[in-house]
Amino acid sequence: MNCGQFRETYREDMAIFETNFARGLLALFLVALAAAPAFLSFFWMDVLNRILIAVIAATGLNILTGFTGQISLGNAAFLAVGAYSTAFFAGRLGLPFLLVIPMSGLMTALVGMVFGVPSLRLKGLYLAVATLAAHFVIEFTASHWDGVTGGVNGISVPPAKLGGLELSGDRRLFYLVLPLTVLMLFFAKNLFRTKTGKAFVAIRDQDISAEVMGVNVFKYKLLSFGVSSFYVGVAGSLVAYHANIISPENFPITVAIDQLGMIIIGGLGSILGSIFGAVFITLLPEVLRVGTGALGDTFPKLIDLFAPLKQGVFGLAIVLFLLFEPDGMAARWHSIRNYWKLYPFSY
Amino acid sequence: MKETMRRIAALAAVALAGAAQAQEIKVGGIFDLTGITADVGKPFATGVRDAVGWVNENGGVNGKKIRLVDADYGYKVPEGVALYKRLVNDEQVVMVNGWGTGDTEALKDTVTRDKMPFFSASFSAHLNDPKKTPYNFFVPPSYSEALRAWLQWVKEDWKDKSRNPRVAFFYGDNAYGKSPIEAGRRYAKEIGVDVVDEEILPGIVQDATSQLLNMKQKGADYAYTQVTTPNFSAVLRDAKKLGLTTKWGTNVWGFGELLLGVAKEAAEGVVGAMANPPFGENVPGMAKVVAWHQKNHPNDTHDTNYVRGWSYVMVWSEALKRADKAGKLTGEGIREALETFKDFDLGGLSSPVTFTKDDHRATTRVSLYQVQGGKLVKAKETELPRKPEWLGL
Repeated sequence: MNCGQFRETYREDMAIFETNFARGLLALFLVALAAAPAFLSFFWMDVLNRILIAVIAATGLNILTGFTGQISLGNAAFLAVGAYSTAFFAGRLGLPFLLVIPMSGLMTALVGMVFGVPSLRLKGLYLAVATLAAHFVIEFTASHWDGVTGGVNGISVPPAKLGGLELSGDRRLFYLVLPLTVLMLFFAKNLFRTKTGKAFVAIRDQDISAEVMGVNVFKYKLLSFGVSSFYVGVAGSLVAYHANIISPENFPITVAIDQLGMIIIGGLGSILGSIFGAVFITLLPEVLRVGTGALGDTFPKLIDLFAPLKQGVFGLAIVLFLLFEPDGMAARWHSIRNYWKLYPFSY
Repeated sequence: MKETMRRIAALAAVALAGAAQAQEIKVGGIFDLTGITADVGKPFATGVRDAVGWVNENGGVNGKKIRLVDADYGYKVPEGVALYKRLVNDEQVVMVNGWGTGDTEALKDTVTRDKMPFFSASFSAHLNDPKKTPYNFFVPPSYSEALRAWLQWVKEDWKDKSRNPRVAFFYGDNAYGKSPIEAGRRYAKEIGVDVVDEEILPGIVQDATSQLLNMKQKGADYAYTQVTTPNFSAVLRDAKKLGLTTKWGTNVWGFGELLLGVAKEAAEGVVGAMANPPFGENVPGMAKVVAWHQKNHPNDTHDTNYVRGWSYVMVWSEALKRADKAGKLTGEGIREALETFKDFDLGGLSSPVTFTKDDHRATTRVSLYQVQGGKLVKAKETELPRKPEWLGL
């Protein structure tokens, strides 16, 4: 018997699931998740949907920032592009969601690539500012292109329909969001086993040596913007179906910052990290609110005291993770797992 | 024996508590205690909570107690929507006392579908049209009415008859900011006031110098802002710095005791629409508010936003009473009850409220106050006509 897990071929090294046990566990988890609507209240279903949508968006951002090393503050705006595309394709043209979602993703990918062009020359902080500009340009367009976006008053999005069934309400929408999330995650996981994914990572680690090795840096940077924005666009499309009405106020800059927080806390350059981060950041305010709400019945003054806590906890969490676990929750998860795998004979 | 008695007593207490619970009416609250409008959101929320306490102590809703289930949403639209879902689906509230423009707009289709009466602190005129938003309500005059009333005041205040007064509008590039602007443009034209300039302010105003210089160049005699108090204060500060002589006006959210505290002497002369009197003003309805304040938290300071919270509860608790009497304590029943309101008197806490089946304008009476010597002084009260073509504009 092996004392630990040994990888003897490249095939094993690249496997998504190291053991059949892990595969089974994931299957079990997905089944449990699929059964969740039977047990959860309306409120927690809403939170669950928002978590899954955030997972897709955070994965998109992680592809760009975590894997390719291109920082972006334009995520809220790209989310808006996806959402408004959905409002247009579904509301104006009356297309079914099976077409609308990928089309919204492609639309966002296109916009993302346009705003990715400066990345050829800009790096780090400068790129952050350039993508910030993208945010304001898109926000301005959303508030003023009244004919398409409905301007500042927003625009209604018809619910997704499957046959005659309206996927309105969180319980039904969940069965659209969940499979899509799983699909997107598997695609992302696989992406980094391909040449393209490896090229992204090479650019992140050292763009000059990547170029020397024969990676077309500009092409792959643009591609990364495209793939990343596609993910964010799909998330935006789901935001639109989830919210029913979208307006520029749904996509403030704080959304982009929250998503950066997700991948920092979860783990830069890790698909699992995007999941952890999205879960953590989305749950944090809700858990704090439910907690303070429960206390508030007995101590009404506490609500005023605790309500501002979530911003503080958010900031504190980022600082603490940067200090003590810069690789995020995903790294912590791996070390915990490895500890138990060899327990009690870890050496 | 003693033990048994004690047990029976405990059981009885539990049963009684259960019965009391059945006699509760749950009302949802969506408040901003931490977001960008927390400065006015907090006193409003406190007002609503206190007023619910007062109603419960004074007979409740035909003997039933109101239970306010509320939470903070930090002025974030998705969190507000999530909170709404929790209140309606999990807590099973009969109506919601909401807050901001963004979330009210995002929820307007949903509340119509859910038949859930939704009181907002967004006074956008388009929410007044029951054909489009049958379940949206608010108590004060709309933003558009406030702007019309101010324009009327400008026309009267302007003494130079050789030309029309020139006004400028300052607003944010968002749903709240733009809400009354079209109505203002049209009304100005109607009564002979020239709108010479419109300036866009950012969400958080650090410096308004460039906008102000622009306005100066266009020669505006008066200027109206549709922003929040901190932003308006920044504008006033910069206007003072530049030595402008423009006469300033603003709406409910830019005005009140808060402005006096923040803008100090720069606020002198400002004319603002107030939906509710300042806290402690000598009106009949204020007695209970002051008494409650004395009894429960005498050391807190309160303002007009606190009074607004009270005025909201006075209106919807009355609707709950009427709906309960009619045996229809549902969303639909509450809406129908609200639509029976005719000049419902709030003792001066807000203008008398009227709702009808096809007109949800609570009131068209606007009170304008002016800052004189660091105090809010009532300058004018206008009753604007209830023109059908103004419904929803």
